[in-house]
Amino acid sequence: MQKNKIVIDPVTRIEGHAKITIDLDENSNVCDARIHVTQYRGFEKFCEGRVYTEMPALTARTCGICPVSHVIASTKAIDQILALTPPKAGVNLRKIINLAQIVQSHALNFFHLSSPDFVYGFDAPKEDRNIFKMMQTHPQMAKDGINLRAFGQKIIKELGGKRVHPTNIIPGGVSQKIQESQKQMILEQIPNAMKIAQETLNFFKTNLHKFQKEIDSFANFPSLFMALVNEDGTLEHYDGVLRFIDSEGNILQDGIEPKDYKEYIGEAVEDDSFLKSPYYKPLGYPRGMYRVGALARLNIALKCATPIADEELKIFKAINGGKPLLNSFYYHYARLIEIIYALEKIEELLKEDETMSENVKVTSTVSENKGIGCCEAPRGTLFHEYHTTKDGIITAVNLIIATGNNNLAMNEAVKQVAKEFVDAKSITDGALNRVEAVIRCFDPCLSCSTHALGIVSSKIEIRDHNKRTIEMIDRN
Amino acid sequence: MRVIIGYGNELRGEDSFGIEVIKELKKLPLDNTRLISAFQLTPEMVLELLEAYEIIFIDASFNEDNQYALACSTTQQNSLSLTHHISPKSIIYMLNNLYNRSPEFFIYSMMTNSFNKIKDKEEYENSIKLLSTHLVLIDNQEKKCN
Repeated sequence: MQKNKIVIDPVTRIEGHAKITIDLDENSNVCDARIHVTQYRGFEKFCEGRVYTEMPALTARTCGICPVSHVIASTKAIDQILALTPPKAGVNLRKIINLAQIVQSHALNFFHLSSPDFVYGFDAPKEDRNIFKMMQTHPQMAKDGINLRAFGQKIIKELGGKRVHPTNIIPGGVSQKIQESQKQMILEQIPNAMKIAQETLNFFKTNLHKFQKEIDSFANFPSLFMALVNEDGTLEHYDGVLRFIDSEGNILQDGIEPKDYKEYIGEAVEDDSFLKSPYYKPLGYPRGMYRVGALARLNIALKCATPIADEELKIFKAINGGKPLLNSFYYHYARLIEIIYALEKIEELLKEDETMSENVKVTSTVSENKGIGCCEAPRGTLFHEYHTTKDGIITAVNLIIATGNNNLAMNEAVKQVAKEFVDAKSITDGALNRVEAVIRCFDPCLSCSTHALGIVSSKIEIRDHNKRTIEMIDRN
Repeated sequence: MRVIIGYGNELRGEDSFGIEVIKELKKLPLDNTRLISAFQLTPEMVLELLEAYEIIFIDASFNEDNQYALACSTTQQNSLSLTHHISPKSIIYMLNNLYNRSPEFFIYSMMTNSFNKIKDKEEYENSIKLLSTHLVLIDNQEKKCN
């Protein structure tokens, strides 16, 4: 039988459920490939009719890795509905918790999900390409991953109230001030966390040359990039304005207030996936494909504004002569620099006198019937938009989840890698691993991203030129 | 030190069984035992288990036929997986391979198919009491032996 379609289902070592279809032409050459998110969460719909006060706790449940970002975007949206400006201490503590989540989430992706590919190579037997093999052959690296994640989670638990789905981030600020003992405990652990982060980045940079083939072909194409950025162009994860740049680094749109996001971002829906496909409106769909997340943030930011991360950013930007890095393989690199930045920034924020203030929250009643909260989640820019009645009952919700922003780019990435590595006459495990690995570059959190109407592991489906499935490969 | 970890989602009906057992145990006399309740098992949790000679995992387990039955398993059930949440097997694997620790471990599960609501409150609470009492009994027997 002639093979004309390959399906990878489920996609492995990502968060959520997905499958990949690879379409073959009449000559059995790869002509297209797509990622389909096969789970549905539906938060946009079932949040309707709830009281606004429930939204941070409800929307935090969209994710077990980045609940902090959801709580922050949610409380920022409610801040607007209540016309509240949280005090500086409240904002600083929210920022510290969000940065701690960047540390733990990026550590999870690098150490637990992606490092086996870097250590053993993409063609290693699949039984070896996992964290458990890493524990046998590289136990210190595995421990480093655990320690770095534990550091981030400890901060979230101490300041956010709970390790998963923190409760202390509330509309108007945070519910509890930071204690001196908590501050000291975190500060004492930063040097060890920084040592791990720097050693890991050096490991990655030293081994980067081994992956030139993947660097050249893992989502290496022009696209726009979007991220929050401070007005002086420095890296920002909590405040700031939205900026779009093109693949040459030209600023297409700058200073966009997050509340105006709908003027610039459209949301397309494909009939074969529950994941929405946001696009840059001025360029239309699908030309307005853009990328978000660590790579986008570092491509957009002129500086990190922390010393060690800035030194690393200079080296990072020099790779492409100061222009944006277009290859999604560099997401891994960018995430490691962001861990260093986050550690430096947490220390800086903790040492600000105002962070220790008793004044951590303000309260109010419903003033506006619409609120839009935005922040940088580990995987990219996150939007929560709520509409309410005058009594605070939610009437409409729109969520653009970080992973969703990358949907168009992920599809383009899968197609590029499939065309480069998949030979339908002889489908190797290494080729299929690369198809999945390019998705892991984006570190998608697909269970978060499917609310308009979801991926936990990978199935690859091969389809002929008539779109008939001729082979299904289960990667579990 | 014995560590008892009850885990589950309190918002998902009878999935909160492990959490509820921990709440109950906190009211009861237990020596040299650390109680942990968690939404899910996470990789960094191993750092809290390095001193444990015995680990007891308590959760709810999907089963269509034996509602509210309690089962104790020493087999390493669940898959060896690691994402943002992991299985007891992965926790034990990490303790063995990374930290050279080999605690005894047990997995107690209450069988249920109700992850949206508490279907039979009396049966559910009875299961919580039964397991809590059993764990205290083990502790008491150990004290006598010592």
